Amino acid sequence: MIWESWSAFWSMGGRGFFVWGSYGALLIAVIAELIALKRARNRALASAEDSHDA
Amino acid sequence: MSLRIAAQAVFRREITLFARRKSDWANPLMFFLIVTSIFPFAVGSESERLRLIGIGVLFVGALLAAMLALPRLFDEDAKDGSLEHLLTSPEPLAVLILARVAAISLALALPLALATPAFALFYALPSEVAGILALTVVLAVPTLILIGAIASALLVAARGGAILTAVLVLPLTIPTLIFGAGAALKVLSGESPAAELALQVAYFLFALALCPLAAAAALRISTD
Amino acid sequence: MPRTEQQSNDRFNGKWFWRYASPAAFYPVAGTIEKLCWFLAISLTIIGLYIGFFRAPTDATQGEVYRVIYIHVPAAWMAMVIYLAMAFWCAIGLAFGTRLSFMMSHALAPTGAIMAAISLWTGALWGRPTWGTYWVWDARLTSTLILFFLYVGYIALAAAFDDKKKGDRASALIALVGAVNVPIIYFSVQWWNTLHQGASVRPGGSSMATIMLTAMMIMAFAFWAYCIAVAMNRLRTQIIERERSAAWIQSSVRK
Repeated sequence: MIWESWSAFWSMGGRGFFVWGSYGALLIAVIAELIALKRARNRALASAEDSHDA
Repeated sequence: MSLRIAAQAVFRREITLFARRKSDWANPLMFFLIVTSIFPFAVGSESERLRLIGIGVLFVGALLAAMLALPRLFDEDAKDGSLEHLLTSPEPLAVLILARVAAISLALALPLALATPAFALFYALPSEVAGILALTVVLAVPTLILIGAIASALLVAARGGAILTAVLVLPLTIPTLIFGAGAALKVLSGESPAAELALQVAYFLFALALCPLAAAAALRISTD
Repeated sequence: MPRTEQQSNDRFNGKWFWRYASPAAFYPVAGTIEKLCWFLAISLTIIGLYIGFFRAPTDATQGEVYRVIYIHVPAAWMAMVIYLAMAFWCAIGLAFGTRLSFMMSHALAPTGAIMAAISLWTGALWGRPTWGTYWVWDARLTSTLILFFLYVGYIALAAAFDDKKKGDRASALIALVGAVNVPIIYFSVQWWNTLHQGASVRPGGSSMATIMLTAMMIMAFAFWAYCIAVAMNRLRTQIIERERSAAWIQSSVRK
């Protein structure tokens, strides 16, 4: 463990905003992409069901 | 021989249309004038400051004005059915597209290039800078029309033309923007613009060689 | 005239890989690849970030903020690699008329755009404490921005067609036009950059310690795996959507 404490870890030597701002943006992008994937899949499955009924 | 005749016919038709419908080249010119004249209100009227932004404003203004003519390339013809004639012609489509691009470039680049030195007066630019700017606009407008021919050929069959054209075309005009405005900046700082001009000509020739072929393929795709 | 898939199949009969140009045949393969890549992406991210945050020391010149490069550099790489992959599939699609190639390209594009955006965003946050500014018109940053525009143009064009087949081929053509232009744009931006600013500051120019480089490379592989997994997922969704009336889709939907 190179960090003295968890608060030292989160502060990133005073650069926490920049480090966590980057990782946070990546996390948000990934979550948004996964939600979009899920919704697109559900839509496609629903339309496949419809076209069977039609 | 017949290919030359066909290309000449396409070219002449476009020029005649431009001569008849003055708004086709007068409107872009008007747009160019208005865009270049509203910038000073935003940045201030000191000559020093205007000289710094003048080259960029004039060059981008000319490119945006030329963008306005892109729907003329294929859209109207697709609506009135004359695009069929182009497509069913036995001559190579790329050559006919080139003839049309040449006519539109000529009818558009000349007025814009002639206006550039006059509008350069707004920005307190020295006359040699205004001259080189006119020359680079003459090169940049056909380059833009060539690239734009691909995009507007594709968009014949698509929804939402104008904004999408800008999104597709403008990023690809960055090289000609860099070299064209760069040449004028070199002259402004008293250096030789030869390298920039050579590169701008190279990009134009590159577009000239590839864009008609790509636009022909694009037109085949969208009218398939 | 585009060849139909049937004709293409006849033409390339006897080549085993051609079988997988059929969406129905590739659908289960894509599922397997997706699962494998999810496993790789998650485990490599855990390992990479563990090494990057808990084993790699503080950088002597940049302090802690250098830890952004574990995601910045892989995202920038993926933004470029995905565009190349897209252009490759577009070329294959236009040459052979294979539907699956176009779908592959559509499946890659949104992730490529996200990678370009992430690389710009993290680059800005890294640049502020390191260079003292969020944005410089450096050749790499500017090229990535233009690459982002190319992705947006491709996605918007593909979405502007009601006729999917036309949209496939139209957007493939624009992707190829973009791919031809990318080196020229990069060169011209570099030219412009040296003209206006002199030598530019280069991200990651200083030599990195081996352990930092290890963490970054592991994260790069994690990004590869993530992008492939997401693309395979999107590809499967598209296959369902486009083949929805086919019997094999119907039987798998009703299961």
